[in-house]
Amino acid sequence: MEPVLEVRHLTVQFHTPSGTVQAVRDVSFSLHKGEVLAIVGESGCGKSVLCRSILKLLPDTARLPSGTILVNGVDITGYGEREMTKLRGKLFSMVFQDPMTALDPTMTIGAQIAEAVRVHQPRMGRDALRQRVLELMTLVGIERPAERMGLYPHNFSGGMRQRSVLAMALAGDPAILFADEPTTALDVTIQAQILDLLRQIQRQLGTATVFVTHDLGAVARVADRVAVMYAGKIVEIGTAEEVFYDPRHPYTWGLLQSLPVLSRGRETLPTIPGMPPDLLHPPKGDTFACRNPYALAIDYEEEPPLFPITETHFAATWLLDPRTPQVTPPVGGGLHG
Amino acid sequence: MKRSILRSIGIKVLVFVVSLLILSAAVFCVARLAPGDPLVSYYGDRVEKMSPQERAWAEDKLGLNDPLTVQYVRWLERAVQGDFGISYQYKMPVTEVIAQRMGNTLLLGGVGLLLIFGGALLLGSFCAWQEDRWPDRLLCRAGTLLSCIPEFWLSLLLILVFAMGIRWLPSSGAYSIGGEGNVGDRLVHLILPLTVVVLSHLWYYAYLVRNRLLEEVRADYVLLARVKGLPRRAVLFRHCLRSAMPTYLSILAISIPHVLGGTYIVETVFSYPGLGTLSYESARYQDYNLLMVLCLLSGAVVMLCNLAAQAINERIDPRIRGERSGMEQEVRTP
Repeated sequence: MEPVLEVRHLTVQFHTPSGTVQAVRDVSFSLHKGEVLAIVGESGCGKSVLCRSILKLLPDTARLPSGTILVNGVDITGYGEREMTKLRGKLFSMVFQDPMTALDPTMTIGAQIAEAVRVHQPRMGRDALRQRVLELMTLVGIERPAERMGLYPHNFSGGMRQRSVLAMALAGDPAILFADEPTTALDVTIQAQILDLLRQIQRQLGTATVFVTHDLGAVARVADRVAVMYAGKIVEIGTAEEVFYDPRHPYTWGLLQSLPVLSRGRETLPTIPGMPPDLLHPPKGDTFACRNPYALAIDYEEEPPLFPITETHFAATWLLDPRTPQVTPPVGGGLHG
Repeated sequence: MKRSILRSIGIKVLVFVVSLLILSAAVFCVARLAPGDPLVSYYGDRVEKMSPQERAWAEDKLGLNDPLTVQYVRWLERAVQGDFGISYQYKMPVTEVIAQRMGNTLLLGGVGLLLIFGGALLLGSFCAWQEDRWPDRLLCRAGTLLSCIPEFWLSLLLILVFAMGIRWLPSSGAYSIGGEGNVGDRLVHLILPLTVVVLSHLWYYAYLVRNRLLEEVRADYVLLARVKGLPRRAVLFRHCLRSAMPTYLSILAISIPHVLGGTYIVETVFSYPGLGTLSYESARYQDYNLLMVLCLLSGAVVMLCNLAAQAINERIDPRIRGERSGMEQEVRTP
């Protein structure tokens, strides 16, 4: 089956006065219809930049020196603002981290959703438009929508706002939805509700979803496949099962080990030592080497390629090179173990 | 709800009246403490030849011999009845003198404000749209330079070039002698003063609009609007401008007096027969009654503009207006 979205060797740079920042480095992945791909990583690893670069919503300082973005087999890498405007909302759409600031404070929720609908169907009549807005609000679980469409964002709670943002994102029936940390700014009970809502809508509409997060718990809840990002690179990618039960990259091990669930009853939480590298001056070799207790000499010399483990599972670590002695992973322990 | 509205209006009216009273007392005292001889404005050069007895008689006639408080109370009593006294210089009721000149100033100030308001909005939006490209950079430089030029100097420069140099436009007045009813003649006289009023204020507000818009453009909701598929221009003009409007309108309302102050200077340089020249003369020649009314008028305009600014804000930004109703709605929806 042909993927809805295919990204090949995408690199994103920012030109700043102090130099060029390599925010995304040689990232490749594909997304199939009706699939949820989670992109996991720490703050600043390039997750959000990756999403925004696909929608071409990056500031003017950003450059894409290499890579191709294919949507339904069509290369959109060279598209200009005018062509992108036509695609946004209809082909792909996005939900943001902070619903408190993502809505226009001076417009009613109903008007903002209506605007999103009308962009793609400018000839829609008043009644049909109203009907569609009510339908969208019901879809995202806003109760008594007729009453609430006349309210302003400041009348809504965080969860309700995120639902409204989602309604706007879904207004054009997008084939791909990017959810950029959609639950980070919400409190825990609401987080679960929004995650379930995302999953439910995704099943109902068959929208392919890229779910960006740093919360592995959320990933387990919604994702079909998982990509782990570190310092602008995808270091491990595979089905959720493979990444959770048979992780191969030391960074993934570290992430999984630091899940609070796994250290219940212990005094301290395991952490990954050190800090993410400065993307302005990335170190030579593997960027994770200096934080990696399993680092090999070659890690400081040469970046590892993505080694295939199964047909769907890849990891970029020299530990997978056949010449490397076997290492027992501290977590996971086999797919069916 | 209705009662609270009445209450807030009542409070505003009260504050307005008290402020005017304080202003009147202050101007009354300051004007009289300032050096100068009010008799000169009434009697002209004859004052120099007056004997002390004549002077005393004249001062007594104008009521200038009594203590300040007595004079003020007497002025207040009459003012409340609508009698603001006569102008020493023009020898007729102050209100009449002002009424004759008011139209000219309203024309200059009103048209100037409209042009500044509209022009700044257009110019600012254009700059924001062209952010950091050459048209924006050019306008920013030129605008900053222009707004640094003092009004009186710019006026003189324009007079020098357009009235003295190429003789296209008249250098002073509101109309040629005998051309009072001629619209074209009025317009020709208006061009130079209006240009100065607009040019000296335009960039300040345009820059304000530009920066406010650019602040808005960086807000998250702009990203969402673009994700919806709205083109950049639509986002800028539909969402950002709307969000920037309350600030702009309220600053504009507050700055109406500032612009009017500018027209006062411009009027003086162009000898344009408006309230500006009148205020200047009345202060210079100790024309107390005229000065009082002009100051109170300006003060009232300032306060009304501030009130208008507040009202505009409440009207446009639902968060200010909704403080109360919004909370009620929140309670209604569990």
